[in-house]
Amino acid sequence: MSVEHLTCPEDLARLRLQSARQTAEDTVTIAVCMDTCCCAKGAEDVWSAFETAIGIAAERGLHIELKRTACHGLCERGPLVIIAPGDILYQNVKPENVTQIVEETVVGGRVLESLIYEDPETGKKTASPSEIPFYTKQMRLVLRHNGAIDPESIDDYVAVGGYDALAKVLTEMTPEQVIAEVETSGLRGRGGGGFPTARKWRSCRAAEGSPRYIICNGDEGDPGAFMDRSIMEANPHAVIEGMIIGAYAIGSPQGFVYVRNEYPLAVRRVRKAIEDAHEHGLLGDNILGTGFDLDITINRGAGAFVCGESTALMASLEGHPGEPRAKYVHTVEVGLHGKPTCLNNVETWANVPAIISRGGKWFASIGTEGSKGTKVFSLAGKIRNTGLVEVPMGMTLREIVCGIGGGIPDGKRLKAVQTGGPSGGCIPEHLLDTPVDFDQLYDLGSMMGSGGLIVMDEDTCMVNVARYFLTFLREESCGKCTACREGTAQMCDILNRICAGEGREGDVELLLDLCQILEDAALCALGTSAANPVRSTTRYFRDEYDQHIRDHYCPAHDCRGLFSYEIVVEECRGCGACLKECPVEAISGEKRKPHALDQSLCVRCGACFDACSFSAIARVKPRVGSIASAAVQVEGS
Amino acid sequence: MATVTIDGRKVEIGEDRTALEAAHAAGVEIPTLCYHPAIDPYGACRLCLVEATLRGRTRMVTSCCYPVREGLEIATDTERVKVARRGVMELLLARAPQSESLRELAAGMGVREPRFPTVTRADHDCILCGLCVSVCSEVMGVAAISFASRGVERVVATPFLKPADSCVGCGACAAVCPVGAIHLQGTDGQVEVSPFNTRLPMTRCEECNAPITGLPFRERLEKELRPELAGALRICDSCKRSRAAAVVKKSSHLNRLAAVSTPAKGE
Repeated sequence: MSVEHLTCPEDLARLRLQSARQTAEDTVTIAVCMDTCCCAKGAEDVWSAFETAIGIAAERGLHIELKRTACHGLCERGPLVIIAPGDILYQNVKPENVTQIVEETVVGGRVLESLIYEDPETGKKTASPSEIPFYTKQMRLVLRHNGAIDPESIDDYVAVGGYDALAKVLTEMTPEQVIAEVETSGLRGRGGGGFPTARKWRSCRAAEGSPRYIICNGDEGDPGAFMDRSIMEANPHAVIEGMIIGAYAIGSPQGFVYVRNEYPLAVRRVRKAIEDAHEHGLLGDNILGTGFDLDITINRGAGAFVCGESTALMASLEGHPGEPRAKYVHTVEVGLHGKPTCLNNVETWANVPAIISRGGKWFASIGTEGSKGTKVFSLAGKIRNTGLVEVPMGMTLREIVCGIGGGIPDGKRLKAVQTGGPSGGCIPEHLLDTPVDFDQLYDLGSMMGSGGLIVMDEDTCMVNVARYFLTFLREESCGKCTACREGTAQMCDILNRICAGEGREGDVELLLDLCQILEDAALCALGTSAANPVRSTTRYFRDEYDQHIRDHYCPAHDCRGLFSYEIVVEECRGCGACLKECPVEAISGEKRKPHALDQSLCVRCGACFDACSFSAIARVKPRVGSIASAAVQVEGS
Repeated sequence: MATVTIDGRKVEIGEDRTALEAAHAAGVEIPTLCYHPAIDPYGACRLCLVEATLRGRTRMVTSCCYPVREGLEIATDTERVKVARRGVMELLLARAPQSESLRELAAGMGVREPRFPTVTRADHDCILCGLCVSVCSEVMGVAAISFASRGVERVVATPFLKPADSCVGCGACAAVCPVGAIHLQGTDGQVEVSPFNTRLPMTRCEECNAPITGLPFRERLEKELRPELAGALRICDSCKRSRAAAVVKKSSHLNRLAAVSTPAKGE
């Protein structure tokens, strides 16, 4: 279809009718998820196989539409394919399944049992997403069009009502009314801080200086977080529409989307969305003939975690090294190039069109007293359904992890949930009935963060978790301020020692003193919140620290060397597998008779544990001193 | 003008000034490392922390870059401030335990030995305060040195760690360094800016032959200054003082004036 330049809101309405008519036909649609997760699992090959199969089918007079969509959420089981009509979700689809899908399902109308969802608990098979607990328990607002629209097609977005909110804003609302509507909605920033969006917009609008800038922060960098990437890959036009509405409310002629370069697909799709919006007259001069002008450009970040911090991001946009500055004067007053600047997160912007279309009151009816709307989370770690979910604020963490996430695999016990990325904290299992809410998570010593949710089971050592995050923060500290650069390095040093069994009495107190120094003295939020992983793990799992330090024992059996191996005589069949694997000949015994492990020789490498098929090797608390004598013997031999 | 209270003392100060400047005006001492009056505040060393209370809200801020506002209250001597400053000092001292000037400043704050080991490597005791980098770019307009790498790897360096072509040998970096990490050394008619490995032709005093500065720096100043002043660039500070003293000596009028206005010892 040729590009249509929309010169008035009526043009937009006409395009919507036209696009909707095209997609509403009775044709069979095969939607292949083509986001980063599914592509990593081979979705591109599946796509090519479908192209070939559909080409062949077309020769027989069958018309099948192949559609590129983005994240369906159930990333664990990608590549995902949805077939309509019928709403059949196929998972783990491989190119060799494609011909069968076309012949059996599309032509024959039969569901392929081997490709549909099977409940891990009950074994019950379900074909439709509307019956899978992973989907039924969610509330999808930001992600509502995922799986239905092609993220690279502006017509698709317009067909589902896209840019209607923009037309409404430009023709029926004053900037003040837009801000008031967002205020009514109670929307708070989704990037981590949870600052009220309307208040930020109002301050920026009121600030002196010209021009004003708006920025979309897509520099998501928390380990295990991929909400913003998925939104940009799945529905880039929603982000762009939100930004145009925000720019109108604030009075800004220039916007920037800052995306990390490690997200090439997100960069490509946002860039295409901007280009298409320009061509359609939804960006640029005189948008929809209303006299409002806005340009948006995309900038790629070079992979520094700290550039997710607003002042560092702005320094980076200006071409300087990505280092933060003190925010004693807010960026809404003095931001990019010294001008008033409003920076919001991807998910925040993506929420705006729905708030305008359906009203702030509707949005405020979802969620809790202080946190309105929904929140997108990425589930990662020791959880069955790794993926992307969206839930109303106020849902408990347990419901998200055990209900939607499907619980912990391999019959393990749930231990803790980490929220908020490196700046957040670990929430222990007994507090998981806490509702998801900015303020309640903060009270628990964690934070909402941008929405990364890492699940930990009984095999996860909480000291090691703190060590992991501090190592990350030490690597990502920009090095500008003393407290963060030196403080994170010192905390890492102590945590490394503890995990190596070299902890000393007083180490935890020293760590907590360092937490205080960072909280009081660091320049930016990366530094002040670097204390959180240690704060929360010492608060809820102090006992694990003490056992590491006093007993040289890691109760989760995670820190190598801080637990020993023993042969469980009753279980040992004398197969000899461990004996063969042991690098220091610490195991002896005859065939078909229980073996014995000599602790004075054992170096605790774990080779026997991995080799045993009969659970006959146990991990136990070590007898003090045995590792040292073992090490000496190994060195001497 | 804004009225600001520093440790209970009220001062009137312009609204474009900082909490640190207000403290100076009130005669209150605040330790600093990365602050210099000629350079834009950078807020990196974190030593000048104070508690700032504005509209009922108290928070820790670095006074060097915190702008004053009407009614601002600053507390420089609270327990929280002292603990945080000592903590920062310990971290710095752990980084550069050999630095004499750092030890001296630390002792003044009651810090003898840090509780932490040395885990980050400081080249020549450099504490990365950034004064040298700022003076080179902001004041001299040269930018021969800048920060390179990130986090604990961060260093002050010339581009690609090669001798800097743009360096004029002015020595401002060495002059502002609070820990003496940078030196200008004269050897074989050249001036070497250490540790940056940058060598430049040296100018010498036309009277006593003492080394003065890098030749590019003099050439630049000669272009910028009026010719009658540019002559002063060719003699060293010491000889300039001798010349000035000789002029003063000749003037009996000035001698008399000096006798009247200089109080005798003991008064």
